[in-house]
Amino acid sequence: MGDREPPSISEDEFARLCDFFYRRTGMIFTEAKRYYIERRVFERMLATDSATFAQYFARLRMDLDSEIEEIINAFTVNETYFYREDHQFHCLTTDLLRLRAAQKAPGEAIRIWSVPCSTGEEPYSIAMWLLENWPEVDKHDIEILGSDIDTRALNAAREGLYGARALSRLTPDLIDRYFEKAGEETWQAAQELRESVAFSPVNLIVNAETRAQGVFDVIFCRNVLIYFNDESRRVAAENLFECLKPGGFICLGHTESMSRISPLFEVRRYADAIVYQRPSGKPEEAPRG
Amino acid sequence: MPLIRRDPSGASAPKLEGDAVTQLSDANPDVRWKAARALGKQPDAVPALAAALHTETLPQVREAIFTSLVLIRTDASARAAAEFVRSEDAALRSGALDALAAMPDVVERILSSLLQDADSDVRILSCDLARTVPGDVATRLLGALLQAEAEPNVCGAAVEVLAEVGTADAIGPLTACKARFPGEAFLGFAIDDAIERVGAERLDMNG
Amino acid sequence: MAKRILVVDDARLIRSFYRSILEKEGYEIDEALNGLEALEKLLVVPVDLLIVDINMPKMDGLTFLRTLRRGEAPISAIPALMTSTEAKDSDKENARAAGANFYMVKPIKADALVEHVNLLAGRRA
Repeated sequence: MGDREPPSISEDEFARLCDFFYRRTGMIFTEAKRYYIERRVFERMLATDSATFAQYFARLRMDLDSEIEEIINAFTVNETYFYREDHQFHCLTTDLLRLRAAQKAPGEAIRIWSVPCSTGEEPYSIAMWLLENWPEVDKHDIEILGSDIDTRALNAAREGLYGARALSRLTPDLIDRYFEKAGEETWQAAQELRESVAFSPVNLIVNAETRAQGVFDVIFCRNVLIYFNDESRRVAAENLFECLKPGGFICLGHTESMSRISPLFEVRRYADAIVYQRPSGKPEEAPRG
Repeated sequence: MPLIRRDPSGASAPKLEGDAVTQLSDANPDVRWKAARALGKQPDAVPALAAALHTETLPQVREAIFTSLVLIRTDASARAAAEFVRSEDAALRSGALDALAAMPDVVERILSSLLQDADSDVRILSCDLARTVPGDVATRLLGALLQAEAEPNVCGAAVEVLAEVGTADAIGPLTACKARFPGEAFLGFAIDDAIERVGAERLDMNG
Repeated sequence: MAKRILVVDDARLIRSFYRSILEKEGYEIDEALNGLEALEKLLVVPVDLLIVDINMPKMDGLTFLRTLRRGEAPISAIPALMTSTEAKDSDKENARAAGANFYMVKPIKADALVEHVNLLAGRRA
């Protein structure tokens, strides 16, 4: 299978593919990523025995054998690691928390939700990042919750065992202070770190489950809404809306765009990231008539 | 360690009390939002949800009402949403289209009648919905529209969608449509483009 | 420096039609499929003029313009040409109220488009 030449994808075909992806998943690809996208598409063409791009595109549009999920997987780095997409963490400590803290009554907790949290890298990263980078961290009661639909992942998250790859973005000093060596190539999140994060099972499209998590100031919800169909996406967006305080923020994955997902949130640009905000204004209008 | 773990299970879940249908017109928008969401599994709430869309002005409550129509997912709920495709309010038109696009299986059943609506604006917006149904169904329905449609803007909308999802069976109706509107430069340009696209697909599929 | 126009329309062909006409006139073109995507784009790309369709999914053109005009300068002041296939009287009035500087009914002729774009972009015809 290695001897086939990559097929050419014309400008038109590339534009059609990007349009389709945007409409179907909310993922945005720019011309700059064209080479990367073509490689992934070619891999999927080989895997599905498609002779031409048009054949493959027809399969994708019909979602034969869950091809949409397959190609999203090919585009998304499923591997999760500490300090992934840390520009959003920069944004969290430079802008988002400052804005949220200003709204707090004395003693009122700041709540942060990582969903889906998989095996815990993201919520632990948030805890470490705040301790390292937010000067006001000691002044506030901060709760961090990690949730996932996969209870096995949650158990692994609670246990907090990680290999070298997951820690590769961390400095030796950070590893030293937040982890304990647990084997040849294994580290365990220190007990203090593990106790700084709570975990809970949650299905984002089940309202009773999301409501039970309470209301948050900032939600990290990366690379999951792209997998949902329109109906599930509407429900998930409304559940997330309910789980945010008015004025609270939601961070999506870097290829995701809320403009395909839901009109419920307002887009905001800060120095380090584009995030979405639940409108803060008091809902004042009563229905007419 | 300043970060404190707290068990989230104690968080209070807001309860909907009383009759959700009545609460759709409550003065408090939070109550209306919850009522709208609570009715997503009740097919007999369709008339009440549709009525609420006529008076509701808050965007997020409208969105929740449309989502409940999507979740009910019957011909009646789709038709209720489709009524707002002819609204004077552009935001309601968009909301209705988004809702219909989220229930493609039901749309497939009512699309043919929407494409024959007396209102050309409804026909234009309905063309867009053909994007959500299988390519051969879209080709059949939009091909039939192209044979008879008098309004070039409606043809343009159909051509756009055919270029994206149509099969080679669209070439006949596309060619005939171009011949019916010799003076419409943009439509001709769009049809040529669409023929090229659906034609290329056929060659590729066979070759 | 070339002026940049953001075309906000969910119809691919309309976008490429405007692009082909306006690039010949020396404009740079950027595209968005609906109002929400346009609001995102405006945060990262400097834009001199908007061409906005009234009917779009997710966020229609009127809601987009109202949101834009309520927002922060200088983005809030970008001139906007609104397009529509609609014969509805209410739409033209609503477009002005929402902050459109000009309103054109589709199908739009190339020369009329160029004329109005030049006018709004502050270019001598």
